[in-house]
Order: sequence, then structure tokens, then C-alpha cells
Amino acid sequence: MGRSPSDLAVFIARRLVQLIPVLIGITILTFVFTHISVVNPCSQWFPHADPATLANCRAQFSQPLDVQYWNYLVNLVHGNWGASVTGVPVYPAIADGVPATLELVLASLFLMIVIGIPMGVIAAQSAGRWADHLVRIFYLSGWATPTYLGAVIAAIFVAPYFGLPSHGEYTSSPPPFTQYTHMSILDALLAGNLPWAWDAFVHLILPAATLAFINMGIATRMTRSSMLEVIPLDYVKSARMKGLSEFWVMYKHALRNSLITTTTVLGVTAGGLLAGTVVIEEVFGWPGIGAYAYTAIGGGGNAPNFDGAVAVVAVFAVGVVIANLIADILYGVLDPRVDWR
Amino acid sequence: MTAPVIQVEDLTIDYVVGAGRFRAVSNVSLEVPQGHVVGIVGETGCGKSTLAQAIPRLLPEPPATIGGGRIVFQGTDLVQIPQWKMPAIRGTGISMIFQEPLNSLNPAYRIYDQVAEAVRIRRIRESGRTPVDRRDQPPFDYTQRPQPDVGAELAKPFLPGGAAARAAQKALPRHPELRDEVLDYLKLVRINDPETILDLYPHELSGGMRQRIMIAMALSEKPALLIADEPTSALDVTIQAQVLTLMKELIEEVNTSILFISHDLGVIAETADELGVMYAGKLIEFGPVADLFERPRHPYTKALLRAAPTRYKSEGPLDSIAGSVPNLARPPPGCRFHPRCPLARPVCKTEPAPPFAPVEGAGEGHRSACFFAEEVASLP
Repeated sequence: MGRSPSDLAVFIARRLVQLIPVLIGITILTFVFTHISVVNPCSQWFPHADPATLANCRAQFSQPLDVQYWNYLVNLVHGNWGASVTGVPVYPAIADGVPATLELVLASLFLMIVIGIPMGVIAAQSAGRWADHLVRIFYLSGWATPTYLGAVIAAIFVAPYFGLPSHGEYTSSPPPFTQYTHMSILDALLAGNLPWAWDAFVHLILPAATLAFINMGIATRMTRSSMLEVIPLDYVKSARMKGLSEFWVMYKHALRNSLITTTTVLGVTAGGLLAGTVVIEEVFGWPGIGAYAYTAIGGGGNAPNFDGAVAVVAVFAVGVVIANLIADILYGVLDPRVDWR
Repeated sequence: MTAPVIQVEDLTIDYVVGAGRFRAVSNVSLEVPQGHVVGIVGETGCGKSTLAQAIPRLLPEPPATIGGGRIVFQGTDLVQIPQWKMPAIRGTGISMIFQEPLNSLNPAYRIYDQVAEAVRIRRIRESGRTPVDRRDQPPFDYTQRPQPDVGAELAKPFLPGGAAARAAQKALPRHPELRDEVLDYLKLVRINDPETILDLYPHELSGGMRQRIMIAMALSEKPALLIADEPTSALDVTIQAQVLTLMKELIEEVNTSILFISHDLGVIAETADELGVMYAGKLIEFGPVADLFERPRHPYTKALLRAAPTRYKSEGPLDSIAGSVPNLARPPPGCRFHPRCPLARPVCKTEPAPPFAPVEGAGEGHRSACFFAEEVASLP
């Protein structure tokens, strides 16, 4: 194994093949757990339904669990992602929700990188002094905040203080243009509608910032500790010796090597970010799969949507695996000593 | 004689570690004349590396603190100026080669990028735009700025090590004149195949190669003073010899002033013009190399010379100096060498060692810090 593009392709292909057992496992788990969570689902969901509907429902849910799962899997392979008990198909909701969630997650990832990582550098440079403590207080408070609490505080107190909107993707929905990608800013830009793009941007700030604040700690902390390991090394000294200013010594020479660890950790936080979207999207009315997951598990007084819940968890699993794959690829890009394995 | 490149006067450096306070360097004075090679020898832990790193203010402060003294470089006292001004002096003013070539190149960048960075820093300084000067000068005229090389940016590989990326790089040479200069410096340090080396990463090179590149990098900034902090001690013996030969040749060719730190007397004997001997944080003897080797005027120097192997043929066990290096947290009172000194008398235990003084019967510029310097010659 070396470092040529073909090695990279083999590496990626192998990791994607590994995704298949992960998906089978995760769908079995969620399928079993959702289906055993509700006793007599048909009589609970349709207490006043006519006998025909009830019989129809029972015909589906009275089969053994393994048969139900097999049917679900066969449908999935044929492109049928199932439907909620009220007959709303799952696939369109997921297809519209994934880009919206992706936009939110990428925006918070961006904030985590441009704020969290420099904060880690500052903390490492001033280790043990007041700036270090300040940074630690900041990231620990984010770390310790439960997602729902952070989201509610942001929506109720922070939003009016800064005059930021705290609900939805746009001020009025739907927007006056076709949503091709279902990424709010991108759609407005594709329509060439700058005021709406700005509107979408303003709507994105608060949910993204909240999600970032809660998940940022690990990036800051890892950057700080790996910078503390790198700064005493000889090559940082030789960068100083060249006559580079402290800024370039830190950000070009030391941080470049610290990022190798930070990137891996950022890949791991993908799971946290995706899990955070469930609450954040619900609180901020963001039309992504996080909010969909919330309703699918029966949040907000809805009937549980088994197929929806299984689908969302599977999509999250794919997201986490791909995020870690990207992190591993970046790891190889950042560290020339790494071979693709 | 021309003015010295650097004058260290009465320099004292302390390490504050926990409750202890270690005086790693105490009251050291020395100067490096223009174009000379000044060697510093001493045992491990005698403070020579601390001294070397303190001159360009590279010591981490804290734990190190400069307790007193002056480091005068080109009329400026480096002890007094703030850290943020030091980058302007490092590189082109004072440069340094470190002990550990394996770790002193950044593993994330190609050799070209690292050497080119040094060349670029020198060029910026030569054009008069140092980061320090910029604060006092009128704002930079943006109509005069050099046009960025877009082609080179495009040619930067997205994926490392790819055949496509290599082809793209060959098609669009990065800053040809910069590349040529980098190649010149790699050739200067006798790298046989500089074109290939350029695109390699440090981990793909041997220790000797990396040290050559460090030397090339330091020289490419044309420093007024080059500090070589045991540049050969981390290398294999055969590689040591190669790098040493290279250093000797470069000293002839480049004609720069060098402060050469080593624990190896043989290395010093072959390279240095003047030699200082350090013991327990103090400079105890200083003089022209030949004179110092022939007529050592400090018992420690004498013992050190006796302990060094002189011939390759076995002559029985080597001499060693009895006792061990003193703990710098609690140095012995009086002269620091007295517990191990064959000439020690009561005065050595109570009175601090005398200041540097010329010694009778020794050559010009030969000074020693011993009460009984004249008697050293009579030692076996």
C-alpha cells in the first residue's frame, strides 16, 4: 500500500463495503427496538378505526419480527423505504430533510473549525494563564450544556437579544422559488435571490451556533493538548529559528501537525452533531431529518413512525461512517507519513 | 581586529523548576570575532546548549529566565528587546543548527517548501520589508506588490504523492528562480540528487541527509552568526565524519562566523579557531585552539584532554575524571571544580574562582579562571 490515488480508491472502496454490515446491524437494532417499544400498536394507533383498517394493520404487525424485518429489507432494496402508520411515505421526507440537516451540520462544523481550533491554539500558547482558563470555561460550559437546554436558551433568550430569527429556514415558508437542493442558502443563491439568501443565512446562525457551541469542546481540547505536545518539538524551534513570526510558527508549522489528531476527533464528533440535530432542529423548526426523527419516535404527540425512525437512524449511521472516512482521508492528506490502509 | 559579531557579557541563565532554581549558565562572557569559529566544549549538562539557545532567545521563558548580562549583536542587546522583535533577528541575523536532525524538520512539509521558506524570508528581509520595520514605515504600496503565481497554486497537489500531481508539478515549475536557489543550497551541502530530494518529505530521508538540509536551510539565510549546537552528536559515526567534513569545507567556503558547541574535543580541534571550556555553568578557560590544546591552563581542561582518546591504537584504559558533575541546584562553594581538582587547596573551597585572567607562559588571548593556572603545566 502506498499513497497513490489508486491506493486511495481502494481504501475508500473498502471502507464503503464495510458500511454494508454496519447498515444491516443498525437497522436490525432499531427495527427490533422500535417494534418492541409499543405493545399492541394497532389498537393504540387506531382506537376508533373501522375493523378493516384494524385488520389491515394487524396483518402487518402480527407477523413474527424476523419476517417483518425481512419484508422491510426487501422493500428497502426495491427502493421502498416504507411509510408511517398514517400512510405517509418515508422516502420523500428523508430526501428533503437530509440536505437541510447537512447544511446545518456543515455550518456548525465550519464554526467549530474556525472558532474552536484557534481557541485551542490560543489556550496552548497561554497554557496556565488567564486566556487558557477563559477558553476552558467556554468550552466546558458548552460541553456541559444539555442540547435541549442550550437550544431553548438560545431560542428564548439569545435570539431576541441579538434580533436573530429562531424558527425555520426562511422568514416565510415556502420561499418564492423552487427548492432544488433543499439547502436553504444554496437554493436562494441558485434562484439568484440575494435577499432570501441573506434571510436564510440569518436563520442558519442560531441553530448552527448552538450546535457548534455544544460540540466544540472536544475540538478545542484536542487542539490544545496536541499543540502542547508539538510546541516543544525541535521543528517548531527550527521554524522560529528561520525568523518566522510567532503567528506563522504556530499556524503554519505547529498547528499543521496538531490538526492530524484534531481531524480524527472531528470525525468522531460527527455522531454528536447528528444526534444534536434531533433536538436543535425541533426547537428551531429546521426542516431536516433531525426534526423528522423527533416526530418519528412519537415526539410532539405523533404516533410513532417505525419505518421513519429506522430510516433516520440508518441515514445517521451512514453519515457517521462517511464523516469518519473523510476524517481518515484528511488524516492521510495532513500526514505524509501515513499510507492508505 | 574587527568588531566581534556577537559579544556575550556576564550572561546568567536560571531555570526555575518547581521550588528549585538551577543556575545553568553563570556569568559567561565570550565573543565571536568576525569570520572566526569559536568552539565551546564541556560535559553533558554543563550549560553549553542552554548558552547556545539563549543567544537567539530560543529558550522557553519560563522555565528559563535570563538572570543578567548582555548579548550584544550588531549593537543591540538581545536580552533587552521584547520577544516579538526577535523573529527579525533570527534566521538572517543569527541562525542555528540543532542536535537532533531527525526532529528538526517539519514532517508535514516537503523539503522544497521548508528550504524555500528560509530563502523567501531572506529575500523579504533583503528587500527591506522586515516585520519589525513595517511598523515604522509607510503602508505597503499595493500597486507594487508582486503578482501571485496562480499557476503554481493550481499545480499544488490535491492528493499527495500522486502521479498526476507529479506530472502537474513538472509542467508548472514552482517559482523557477526560487527553485534554482534552493537547488544551489542543496548542492552546496553536497546533496547528490537535489532535484529528487526537493519533493520528498523529511521522513523519507536519513539523519545525515536531514542534517545537511538543516545546514542548507540555515546557510540559505546567510546569517551573520551561525550557532551549531552539537550538529553531529546524534548521528552515526560514519555520518558524523561526513557531516563534519562538510562543515569544515563550508566554514572555508561560506566565511561566516560560527559558534560551535560540542562535547567532542576532536570535532572542535578540527574546526574551531578559539575554544572555550565550560564546567558546571561557567566558562573556565578560553583561548586559541592550538594553544589551549598544547598548554591547557585549567586543571579541568587538562583532565578533559587526557580523557580524550588520542590514538586509535589501544593504549590501555582511557583516563577519566574522578567524581561527577556537580548538581547545579546546589553547586559546591568556591571554585566549582575543586571537589575533583588535583590542585585544590583550601582557598579553592572558600573563595569563588577568580575572573578570567591571561596566564603567563601561555599564548595571546589565552585566559583561565583558576587560582593556580601557572601550575597546571606541571600536572601529569
